[in-house]
Amino acid sequence: MKRNKWIYLLGLLLSLIMVMGFVALCYASEGAATVPVAAPEGKPPAFGNLYVIGWSAVNFFCLLAVLYKFAYNPVSNMLEQRATTIESSIKHAEALKVEVEQMRKEAQANLIESRKEAQEIVARATKSAEDAKNDMLAKAKEEYAAIVAKGTTEIAAATQQAKAELKDTAANLALQAAEKVLGRAITEADHQKMVKEFVSEAGDLLC
Amino acid sequence: MIFGMWDSVLFHLGPIPVDHLVVTQWALVLVLGLFAFMGSRNMQVIPRGMQNGLEMIVEFTYNFFGQVMDEEHIAKKYAPLLSTFFLFIICSNYSGLIPGAAHIQGFQPPTSNWNVTATLALITALTVHYAGFSEHGAHYLGHFISPNPAFLPLNLLEEIAHPLSLTVRLFGNIFGEEMIVAYLLFLAPFFVPTALMGLAVMLGAIQAIVFTLLSASYIAASSGGGH
Repeated sequence: MKRNKWIYLLGLLLSLIMVMGFVALCYASEGAATVPVAAPEGKPPAFGNLYVIGWSAVNFFCLLAVLYKFAYNPVSNMLEQRATTIESSIKHAEALKVEVEQMRKEAQANLIESRKEAQEIVARATKSAEDAKNDMLAKAKEEYAAIVAKGTTEIAAATQQAKAELKDTAANLALQAAEKVLGRAITEADHQKMVKEFVSEAGDLLC
Repeated sequence: MIFGMWDSVLFHLGPIPVDHLVVTQWALVLVLGLFAFMGSRNMQVIPRGMQNGLEMIVEFTYNFFGQVMDEEHIAKKYAPLLSTFFLFIICSNYSGLIPGAAHIQGFQPPTSNWNVTATLALITALTVHYAGFSEHGAHYLGHFISPNPAFLPLNLLEEIAHPLSLTVRLFGNIFGEEMIVAYLLFLAPFFVPTALMGLAVMLGAIQAIVFTLLSASYIAASSGGGH
């Protein structure tokens, strides 16, 4: 919008100058109908007009002073300031680059160390798990052995008990059978003898 | 209605007569000063608007005319003067292309008058000698009898020829161009002179560059190691 405003102003100014020029030319024709511009007349400018020389020198040095004040000096200062700014920016960027590079290296080293630590942690965890597994296996084996031993003992005891019970039952049966066969009561001595014989024979068979 | 007509006093400022072209010079100083003021009133590190144009012009003139100088401190010292020569001359030359130039009272291209070009050449000549003395001191006088005292007349002639050539070259080109445009305007208005005015755009820039470059080379020669 601001740009357009300047363009319009410039266009207006140029149009104004052209209209003024045209009016000046028409005015210069002094009413001539066919030729709007009069023939060049007059003489070339005379040399040595000290007033013009003086005025020109004054105007030139005024222009030099004005431009020095408002153009050369500020622009030179600005260029120097810009050069300083750019130089410091470049230096700052270079310092940042070095810093970033250092940070990158540190991050890389940290990453490597972290990976190493992670590997150690994993190794430690694996070892712990392996140890736990071995412990559990050992315990299970022990328990198994204890259970087996207990079972064996119980079986052996039960066998002994069964054997004893069988012996008693067999002895009683034998006595009853012998009494029936003999038709009389068996004396204690007979009883003892027969039992021993029977038990020894039956025991061999049963065991 | 041409330059002879306006080569006269427009009004008097007290006892001092003011010519038409002097008023035009004031306008040029005003326009250039306003442009410089507006371009530099709020300068930023990152340039915007008119600051761009101002910096572009100043940098261009500083670099273009400073490169003629061998030594940097001399280029830095005389760059403002040379840049002002260039801007003053090119604006003066182009003022002749604005419709109404030399037809409206108080509006005459200053460089179409050789009193003005002689003033500029005189300033150049004085600056050349000032530069020579400030850089070499009294040894600068030695160049007048260089390479042999017998060359003194020739060297003095050269010192006169330099400003004279600057004066006549600029005045002749601009005055001649203005005259031709004026005659063509009389003979075949308005389209025929337009082509010549297109050339005048180039001519105005070339003459400004030539005058300033020659001034720079004269200053460089007097202040350089040759003396």
